[in-house]
Amino acid sequence: MAEMWISMGPQHPMTHGLWTLKIKVDGETVVDTEPELGYIHRGVEKICESRDFTQITTYCDRLCYASANTWSHAYIYAAEDLLGVEVPERAEYIRLIAVELQRIASHLMWLGAYGPDIGNLSALVWCLREREMMMDLLQELGGSRMHYNFPRIGGVKRDLPTGFALRARHKVKLFLNRMQEYEALFDESTIFLIRSQGVGYTKAAEMINAGVSGPNIRAAGVNYDIRSAHPYSVYSELDWEPAVERSSIKGADCYDRYRIRMEEMRNSANLVLQALDKIPGGAETYHEPGDPKILAKAPSRAPEGTSGSHHFEDSRGESMFYIVGGGEGRGKKPYRVSIRSPMFITIPYAAKTMIGYKVADIPAIMGSFDPCIGETDR
Amino acid sequence: MRVVSEKTQSAAAEKMAKSLSKMDGVEASVNERVNGTQTRYIVTVDVDVENWRATAESLRNDHEVDYCSMITGIHWPESTEKTWEIVYHFLRTGVTDPAIEEGVVVPNIVDFSKVKGMNVPLELQISIILGDTRTPSVASVQDIWAGADWNEKETWDLVGIVFDGHEGMRRVLNPHESPAGFHPLQKQHKLRYHDHEEMYDDAQGFMRKPSDVGKVK
Repeated sequence: MAEMWISMGPQHPMTHGLWTLKIKVDGETVVDTEPELGYIHRGVEKICESRDFTQITTYCDRLCYASANTWSHAYIYAAEDLLGVEVPERAEYIRLIAVELQRIASHLMWLGAYGPDIGNLSALVWCLREREMMMDLLQELGGSRMHYNFPRIGGVKRDLPTGFALRARHKVKLFLNRMQEYEALFDESTIFLIRSQGVGYTKAAEMINAGVSGPNIRAAGVNYDIRSAHPYSVYSELDWEPAVERSSIKGADCYDRYRIRMEEMRNSANLVLQALDKIPGGAETYHEPGDPKILAKAPSRAPEGTSGSHHFEDSRGESMFYIVGGGEGRGKKPYRVSIRSPMFITIPYAAKTMIGYKVADIPAIMGSFDPCIGETDR
Repeated sequence: MRVVSEKTQSAAAEKMAKSLSKMDGVEASVNERVNGTQTRYIVTVDVDVENWRATAESLRNDHEVDYCSMITGIHWPESTEKTWEIVYHFLRTGVTDPAIEEGVVVPNIVDFSKVKGMNVPLELQISIILGDTRTPSVASVQDIWAGADWNEKETWDLVGIVFDGHEGMRRVLNPHESPAGFHPLQKQHKLRYHDHEEMYDDAQGFMRKPSDVGKVK
């Protein structure tokens, strides 16, 4: 049969954003794919060169609307490396709480979008209901609903508000109970199982070579996690292990990638509960903004020749910032900011994993990698 | 949680730096950084551009560096020492496919407090400096690390570094019909309101039009 190219996107429910997947089909079988990105390229790296170090945080929030907090934190750690700032321990705990709550919210957004992708429509409203609880908690910290601008170079914007710990514990525990409802909704749905099992196999070593990381690789039966392999923040002081999924012999399929994110949400919820118990000074103590317990003094200039980088475990894999100091205003602005987006590397790889499967499997495979186009195009 | 001890990390990093320094045109050292509450050891390498390909192969085969994280191109038009710089960030992850026993996959759970040898996770930062040239070029490592493929595409697209031997080079973030030679992260391209303190001088934007003359690209 004649082969032909079909364009899926830029407006297509499979894309979860604005990009095009060009597929070459032979009948119903995919024989080749080619992703086209860049539809919402905003030039964040260029804009950062004319902003000073504190102003950049807000741009990093907007790299991914579903996971704003992890991105601004990824930037802040690199900026702290550049400026040589030591962060108070209490601030690190608050950051950990903020990042893990955001990770839950991001995974819930993914789950809510992935369900409808493959015929489980009621999942969307269920997941957004719980996501709203996480957003409320994050709003208490950051002040706004989606883009928090929460971390500061040297600490955090605000301490945990009074009563936050009580509400957070209550909501996280409620969420952990509701996880069982999701599992009933997904794991017992025949449509979901038929469409997600046995498609989109990926192997661990191959993924690492292709630059794929995060939940996608842990689904293939390895426990590589930036938080434990290249420890940062206070993760090493808490009692937890990265979630690992037992994949099949052929590798991780879409179902494994769904399972790993469920386990990661449990993990994150437990991390939040532990951090609230262990936070130095107690979760109910409140410090005014700017108190040295939550915000260390940081220089505003980075001299020429300095650079800072940091690998960070984002909700979708390993994100990274590399910042070179010595820009305008005698180093008040960075000379160059480079952003590593996990999905920019993962989308081309995911597109290649579809080869050999049917056209109807494409939404299931693509969705299972959790694409986010805001960070991809930057 | 079990993490890699600082001693193991620094020893592994020193070992790799020492071994790399023996190669032609390679200078390696260990950079100790304190981030927040943790100490990190980064193997920092300077490579001559003509030795890059051999170094990359050695990294992959002898040092088991298996993960290409990011490639950054930097344009230094005003610097006297360099005009272009290419910075590679690699990780050594030590990830292997999980073992299969009696037809069942056994998840590969690494105890990071006990890793040794080639399994110790490491960070690498490699820098290649190019002089004053209009066509900066460096050997591609696309076939060694598949993850370098789109990183190289992006670096060419935005900064204009040519990767010799890269197959399928094309625009990925800029529009496909961008003029040849247009690479927006080169420093001669300024943002539209580059010399403008927008926020303070002209918050409402009333004054923008006349002052645009000569500033708009």
